[in-house]
Amino acid sequence: MNDLVALDFDAGTATITLADQNRRNALSTVMFDALEAAIATVETNDATKVLRLRAEGSAFCAGFDLRAMAEEGMLPEFLNRLGGLCRRLRELHAVVVMEVQGPAIAGGCALVSAGDIVHASPDATFGYPVHRLGISPAVSLPTLMGGAGFGAARRLALSGQLVDARTARHLGLVHRLASDREALALAVDESCRRLASFDATCVRETKRYLNHLDLTDREEGFDSTLDASVKTARLPEADRRLRAAYDSMRARTGR
Amino acid sequence: MPTGSNEGMTTIQLDTELVTLDIEDSIATLTLNRPDARNALSLDMIAAMETALAHVESVAAEVQVVILAGTGKSFCAGMDLKAVQDDPILMGDMLRRLAAVSRRIRRLEMPTIARVQGAAIGGGCGLMVVCDFSFSHADAKLGYPEVDLGICPAVVAPFLVKRIGAGPARAMLLAGGTMSGTDGYDAGLATHLVAMEDLETETLHFAGKLAKGGAEAMRATKRWLNELDGSLDDEQLSKGAEISAELIQTDEAQARLRTLFQR
Repeated sequence: MNDLVALDFDAGTATITLADQNRRNALSTVMFDALEAAIATVETNDATKVLRLRAEGSAFCAGFDLRAMAEEGMLPEFLNRLGGLCRRLRELHAVVVMEVQGPAIAGGCALVSAGDIVHASPDATFGYPVHRLGISPAVSLPTLMGGAGFGAARRLALSGQLVDARTARHLGLVHRLASDREALALAVDESCRRLASFDATCVRETKRYLNHLDLTDREEGFDSTLDASVKTARLPEADRRLRAAYDSMRARTGR
Repeated sequence: MPTGSNEGMTTIQLDTELVTLDIEDSIATLTLNRPDARNALSLDMIAAMETALAHVESVAAEVQVVILAGTGKSFCAGMDLKAVQDDPILMGDMLRRLAAVSRRIRRLEMPTIARVQGAAIGGGCGLMVVCDFSFSHADAKLGYPEVDLGICPAVVAPFLVKRIGAGPARAMLLAGGTMSGTDGYDAGLATHLVAMEDLETETLHFAGKLAKGGAEAMRATKRWLNELDGSLDDEQLSKGAEISAELIQTDEAQARLRTLFQR
């Protein structure tokens, strides 16, 4: 692990904190490395009943790192790694609680959709504005369709529009809406404390059956949807659009 | 409602007092009648419901709507596990019976309305959401606190998923706890929220509207919705009951329940 992600254990709750706030917790190679390592540690820790995923800074997660995609051609690999993370969160023995305090965009929204209980503050936003980059958000679909339902998944994945936390709650992507960031942290504290007091086997089996009911226990669902995303990622179109977006971002920010 | 206005109302004689069944103007009202035990679901209570449901099925052509109600303060406090606290095998059987009676309610030909005047907890909340409509009021107490007690709510999960969607159902069942009628309405557990004092008349008024619709169209629509949402999928529904039954028999669950009953 590196310092982009912090992992803490406290009384049955593991907390993963995305801590690359200068880059809005974008999913870069190093961020994926750190996140995967943290989740691997949680996977082998039987005493963990709850995984809390939170973030530092203004954004929860801004999605894939644009530079790595434009300059290093990392998009196909990132899609694979994101698909793997979503699946592992869904299969995890612990209940996954998302604490979304700001924008959760594209890959960030995919991570949120893989959570079991999603808390958000009013400044959280959600969505997949990635078609303009030539990227398909299909990688998110198994958990998004399973959780928010077919209609909401279609709207989010095809429109490219961001929705606010209230709308996301209405769509079933967010389950608890806090009045502000401070209230959010308190609500998630309380939620994790309660969850950690429950019988581990009972919660694990309940989660497993819910995975069965919403079909997220099917490997082929994750595989085929990932194929769809990766296929478009390998087209020259994606490359060209990413390059253009990256250049325009650099011109805008002077970096 | 003025007393003595029961002209046209038929009270069906059942060989039990745990459930009553009245039919008036093609609306059948099946009432859980064990108020001293908050209408908790014992094996006898489930058997009584099955008797009443069998009668409704036998006169299905004359019944256009079924209202599921409860006598007293609670709609239904859930499974009466305390009554069988020394018999984990029987607890498992009760969960299977709950699944069977829920399925039977779901598959009634005519639309069903739960009239929830008080607490609908665990299996009781399960009965509420298995109905096509659920009327409640702001101060009702609703929810699934199974995981709080170390019980696995898989048995009630399928119909909750069908009512509020898989993601919200996931969050609700894993977080446990209970909520007010207002919050339950926001979460989609109740389809209608009315004032407590209007609950009976509003439910009846709505039932009357449903009863006036084309019975065949209504039944065909319900049948098709049941098929679309997996309500006819015996394997999936039984699996939930089996998981719950298996888990309630574990030493851990039994130990948690013993502590609970001793309180």
